Amino acid sequence: MNKVNIDRRHFIKITSLASGGLVIGFMLPGMQALAIPAFDCEFFQPGAYLRIDKKGKVTVFVAKQESGQGVDTALPMIVAEELDVDFKDVKAEIAPYGTLKQGEHDTGGSQSVLNMYSQLRNAGAIAKAMLIAAAAATWNIKESSCAADHGEVVNTISMKRIKYGDLVCQAALLPVPKKVTLKNPKDFNLIGKSEQRTNLKDILTGKTKYGLDIKVDGMLYAVAERCPVLDGTLVSVDDSAAKKIPGVIKVISYKATGAPMHVRAGVAVIASNIWAAIKARKLLNITWDEGKKNKESTEELFKTFAAKAGAKPQIDVFNKGDVSTYTGKNEITATYAAPFLAHATMEPVNFIASVKGDTCELWGGLQLPDWTVNTISKEFGFKKENIKVNLALMGGAFGRRLHFDFAMEAVKIAQQTDKPVQLVWERTDDIRFQPYRPANYHFLNAGFDANENLVAWQHHVLGTPVAYMTDGPGAKEAPEMDGADQGFCYDVPNVHTGYTPVDFNINRGWLRAVDICVNTFPVESFIDEIAQKLKKDPLQFRLSMLENRPDFKTGDGPGALVQSPARVAGVLKMVADKIGWNDKRKPNHYIGLATHSFIFAKSYAAHAIEIELLAPKKFRITRVVAAIDCGLVINPDGLLNQMEGGLAFALTQALKGEITVSNSRVIQDGFFSYELLRYDEMPPVDVYMIDSKEEPGGVGEVGLPTVAPALCNALAAAGYRPRTLPIRNEGFSWV
Amino acid sequence: MPGFSLNINNKQYSVEAEADMPLLWVLRDLLDLTGTKYGCGVASCGACTVIMDGDAVYSCQRPVGACVNKKIITIEGLSEDGSHPVQIAWQKAAVPQCGYCQPGQIMTVAAMLGKNKKPSAETISSAMSNNLCRCGTYHRIKEAINIAIEEINK
Repeated sequence: MNKVNIDRRHFIKITSLASGGLVIGFMLPGMQALAIPAFDCEFFQPGAYLRIDKKGKVTVFVAKQESGQGVDTALPMIVAEELDVDFKDVKAEIAPYGTLKQGEHDTGGSQSVLNMYSQLRNAGAIAKAMLIAAAAATWNIKESSCAADHGEVVNTISMKRIKYGDLVCQAALLPVPKKVTLKNPKDFNLIGKSEQRTNLKDILTGKTKYGLDIKVDGMLYAVAERCPVLDGTLVSVDDSAAKKIPGVIKVISYKATGAPMHVRAGVAVIASNIWAAIKARKLLNITWDEGKKNKESTEELFKTFAAKAGAKPQIDVFNKGDVSTYTGKNEITATYAAPFLAHATMEPVNFIASVKGDTCELWGGLQLPDWTVNTISKEFGFKKENIKVNLALMGGAFGRRLHFDFAMEAVKIAQQTDKPVQLVWERTDDIRFQPYRPANYHFLNAGFDANENLVAWQHHVLGTPVAYMTDGPGAKEAPEMDGADQGFCYDVPNVHTGYTPVDFNINRGWLRAVDICVNTFPVESFIDEIAQKLKKDPLQFRLSMLENRPDFKTGDGPGALVQSPARVAGVLKMVADKIGWNDKRKPNHYIGLATHSFIFAKSYAAHAIEIELLAPKKFRITRVVAAIDCGLVINPDGLLNQMEGGLAFALTQALKGEITVSNSRVIQDGFFSYELLRYDEMPPVDVYMIDSKEEPGGVGEVGLPTVAPALCNALAAAGYRPRTLPIRNEGFSWV
Repeated sequence: MPGFSLNINNKQYSVEAEADMPLLWVLRDLLDLTGTKYGCGVASCGACTVIMDGDAVYSCQRPVGACVNKKIITIEGLSEDGSHPVQIAWQKAAVPQCGYCQPGQIMTVAAMLGKNKKPSAETISSAMSNNLCRCGTYHRIKEAINIAIEEINK
């Protein structure tokens, strides 16, 4: 018997994790398996990530938050691969909050597979080793005479088999091995083959519960009216009419908070049903003090950007060689711009909070639950251990749920009632009060030598940084330069890039593909523009600056990333080949290319988009070809779905997505004014994967950045170079 | 509060609600049929689509008072086990990402095919273009519709 000292608090924590079952063999970091002398057990759980029951069914506890990107399938596949079980015997559950290390629940930056790959392989291999050890003991043979196969251990001498389910109680008694051998990737038989989503059937039958579908006993509902201007305050509210609506329980108000989440001052109607709250909200008569920053507009903001664009960037970001040698001689300059954008998840943000004395319980979808808990603890004075979080499936996130303004609001509201309250954002709230993707503006300058070789590249990015909102004005992390910093992939001898932050009084946040998407549009448009002006082939012009350039690191520190121009070139060649770049174009058909490295997710993608010009500035997208190199692919069909969907998401941005501001108020208030791509606007798309043995990279965001520049380069080939997204604003139309 | 008798998924339900409460909230809040989704409340996204007397309708636009004596089908009642041809097609094409809009998409297609087993491309486009999917699964929705059409015409 393997005795383990375990203090009472840990023991309680462990048993409480079991949701009714006895946890055997639960391992905390640095601890041996907890062995309990029973001889029956419910299941075997060697660690936080998986559990095997006596029928051999495997539950994988998914650390990363599912919002459509498919972590509930890709991550379990990694476990199942090393465990050697059939995927039909595997189900996914959200890893309960509190069972993992700080930061492990964090979901963003296309990092889920990247971060979890080794750990989950290890977890699967440990469980398998323990099951094999249990079988070896049963047969009294060496472990090396046993093999795992489809959820069974095989005695390779007698060829007898024992099912995993029949071994779990014995395996649970064994010490957890410190080191296990992982499979050789060439022996993978699950990773690399397409699997359907683990919760597919529930989605198709309406059984899936998203945050908005959760009901807590005695729960009330709230909707809120918020100050139209950020950081404004409430002066007075007349709620007499609102309170007459049947079902309304009370009307409360709450104050604004500053960084990091910028909750607006609000007045919430709490009711027994959402409809009553929605109706009553319309009857509130509120006077706000909008503060002094209530006259800002995007029109003025873009004028400010334009005025500052030609000046030196406020913050130097990347310097290589000496661009000044070439400044003023033989130059091409260009500007590009893109607006604020809203995430517009189909499930509007919502959150349930219940406050009882000094404890607080929360239910909802969060991409960064640790930051949420830490901030709520600090802001409201709850001890962290008194905040219980129940994570929920998200109906889309795209970065919206990295922010938790709605969770803080829910706590503010729940503090003023004795029952749990679900705060529901109506769609108008969702579009008007977002943490918006920053507006941005770019000034680029290219210099040439006497032989028309590109020898100097300058890129001045102007933007309204997210960090000014999360960290306050003057934040050090202001420059949003991924895609235009040390990782700049084209081999140009002299490069200078820099950033100028401009503050603006609406909240900002991270949106899918973040600044790589922001900066790839100008970079890939400008490269194309240069090729066009020099009358060079845009494909060959790019390849000449990529193909022969060795991989390089973006710095010396621990955060340095590796850039691989050859892989940037690889995806570009793939799309050019597949769309028939060198073939003769059909009449009025034009092709645009764009490529990039989604550097921090270790993935590379390119697009080739063909348009048919129907009339001046009027076009149809006839074909889209995408290529991705994300290293080893876990679930190919999941990857294809992300790339296809990423195209739709990015086309919304290229064609029509735009948030505008007047008097510090967002003008758009729903899908009629903030339009998304529609079914009949989806072009045909083919996605190709580069066969790679590199470690797996991320895929959730990689399909976005090259869509807008590829489309714009096609339009430029047709004679119309777009400079501003969405291109609708430049008079383009499409069918 | 007034009472209403509703026929939902071939079952009779009695609810007490204000007559102007949209069917969407009756389904979700009063009957716990949460498969029908709230997306906008103003007929701009299609997430709340249900079938009423054979037509795809936005449940956010139908006051409960106008739903009496109607035959209402929600995603929960489209089939008992996900075996409706449209659901099977959706499974074959592995359509969903987040899945939130998919009940509305499926109900729209089921209603369309219930009336017309061989819809033209134009009919499909016009039926589908008001159902938004932010994940952008339109490519697969198109594929799934084709699979469903093929299946029901066998």
